[in-house]
Amino acid sequence: MEVFGLLAGGFATALQPINVAFLFIGVTLGLVIGVLPGLGGTSGVAILLPISVVIARGDIAGADTTTAVILLAGIYWGALFGGVITSILFNIPGEPWSVVLLFDGFPLAKRKGKPGLALTSSFLASFVGAFIATVLFTLFAKEIADRALAFGPPELFAVFALSFATLVGLGAESPLKALAMLAFGLLLAAVGFDTITGSQRLIPFAGSEFEPLRNIQINLLAGVGFVPVTIGLFGIGEILASAEEQGIGYMEKISARLGLKDLVEALAALRKRWFLVVSNSLIGFLFGVLPGHGATAASFLGYGLARQYAKNKEDFGKGEISGIMGPQATADAAGVASLVPMVTLGVPGSPTSAVIMAGLFVWGLQPGPLLFTEHSGFVWGLIASIYLGHFLTFMLCLLAVPLLASIMRVPYAIITPFIVVISIIGSYSLNNSMLDVAFTVLFGLIGYWLRKMKYPLAPLVVALVLGDSTERELRKTLIAGSGDPAFFFSSTLSTVVLILAAIVLLLPFVGAVRGRLRRAGVAAVDTE
Amino acid sequence: MGTAAAIVLIAAAAMFDSRAAFNPVRGTAPGDVGAAWYPFWTAAVMGVAAVGIAYRALVLPLPKEGVFANRASVVAVLNLVIPIFLYAISFQWLGFYIATGAYMGFFAAYLGRYRFYWIMASAVITPLAIFLLFEVGFRLLLPKSIFYPVLPF
Repeated sequence: MEVFGLLAGGFATALQPINVAFLFIGVTLGLVIGVLPGLGGTSGVAILLPISVVIARGDIAGADTTTAVILLAGIYWGALFGGVITSILFNIPGEPWSVVLLFDGFPLAKRKGKPGLALTSSFLASFVGAFIATVLFTLFAKEIADRALAFGPPELFAVFALSFATLVGLGAESPLKALAMLAFGLLLAAVGFDTITGSQRLIPFAGSEFEPLRNIQINLLAGVGFVPVTIGLFGIGEILASAEEQGIGYMEKISARLGLKDLVEALAALRKRWFLVVSNSLIGFLFGVLPGHGATAASFLGYGLARQYAKNKEDFGKGEISGIMGPQATADAAGVASLVPMVTLGVPGSPTSAVIMAGLFVWGLQPGPLLFTEHSGFVWGLIASIYLGHFLTFMLCLLAVPLLASIMRVPYAIITPFIVVISIIGSYSLNNSMLDVAFTVLFGLIGYWLRKMKYPLAPLVVALVLGDSTERELRKTLIAGSGDPAFFFSSTLSTVVLILAAIVLLLPFVGAVRGRLRRAGVAAVDTE
Repeated sequence: MGTAAAIVLIAAAAMFDSRAAFNPVRGTAPGDVGAAWYPFWTAAVMGVAAVGIAYRALVLPLPKEGVFANRASVVAVLNLVIPIFLYAISFQWLGFYIATGAYMGFFAAYLGRYRFYWIMASAVITPLAIFLLFEVGFRLLLPKSIFYPVLPF
């Protein structure tokens, strides 16, 4: 099959010493980031974006854009595994997607005194979930991209509309809040020059003669930077939120050193639960392909499924291994799957893949189906590195748990300002702009507040990165149809996707109306 | 409720800025809606969603809990926010390295209550490590202080 030949080429690229070295650096950094509660995978990737630019432009001998994407993706894989360690050993989730491990991971480690088994089971399920998802990625990505090559503006706009609709309609705790954040992201993306007419838009106090204000306006003409905003929302915002939520210095500690016995026991547990792990991995893959959901929502879905179909429901919450393996397989499969729409359609599947996609833009690549034809080596190198990255992460986790757990012992008064310093460097160094630093601090406060008020950040980030493309395809469609909106429905595909988007968008609102009608019906019966 | 009101205000400002959406002369190409149309209607959607959020907050009985759990949580957040703010502002005069040293030293002294030599170590080692990694390793130049003609940082 053609795919396997291309994958072999990808392995030849990914196995070059420079790429292996940066993969190792990436997964190690990701593991550290995953362990630190104040820093997430998304912010970790965003902070290191400027370094990836240096790598991508070839300043380091032998390195290129493939090396840069391998580094960023490696951080993501490491963070997917790393958050597990603190959840299980310290009862503190290192990442949002490892919150679910507090239910059974920590009880298995503490109450049943089996931290090694809890960790190894989790790593094993993550590895299997990611492996299954990567095989699916390998088999179907090119097929999807080949079909997407035929997309015109109406189809592309329809795909973007469906992405936004899923962010609002599926899984959001409050669809209205998701909608407001989505629109906020699109609005931020519209700041600056309009790419079609060249007009200035949304520049505050335009025409002012006050010098500092004019400097800000000139900088804003290029638009609101995605990287400073993301570093602020996720990096600074998470630091502030964790300072408030966890206080300073409190944690429960369990020490763990993994041995061969734990691995054998975890393998036996996996053999008993192979159907759960495989089915959750497949579901995680399908769920992860949907834009905006990523690993966090998938982990909760995976836990729910594991519990729903278990014969021993009463053991859940007390250290049941299915409560660890189920969500971990789903979360990691979804994490890998979130790269599929980014690579094939140019639509990020999660906030982290949105940041990686922003990296592709900065390096001069156009995410989407053309990547497969114009930068085939890049894509297959990335896919091969996913296999290698997960194997490397799995081995590092087995070998270095005590070392990784010791990161939690670095004092708060050192690690917190250090994360802030790294965040500020990340936002400044991309454009050498103090305005970007100001944006990072401002959006740090905004991100903290929005988190506190339970506004979802994923729609904001995805809309910010897709805003320009969405508007461009919208207006190109209107121009192609001479202003006739019917042109959006000019092909079967765009019609089907737009109808699907409308259904998905309206689902929660229809559900709310039905609930209200049902309650009104019950009240009427009660009155009678 | 307050957050929703702030979103409504932002939406209103954006709609006012994009009022040219109603200008009969729009884009340059036939069928184009012009530069203001898209931000205007995006802001309108944002405003309507925020009004909906505010309405739900008014109508639905929500638990009457404060925004912050207690005074300690406010202090924990302010302990971070104020130094970050001062750190970012001081960049343009102190440059990255002096500002970072001062910032790291402040945290080690104020929150860590470490001994003098640990404070100095934190204040010196962090900027030095960043210099070696970013300026020497990755050749990313970071801002220097107003003393740059005299000092090398």
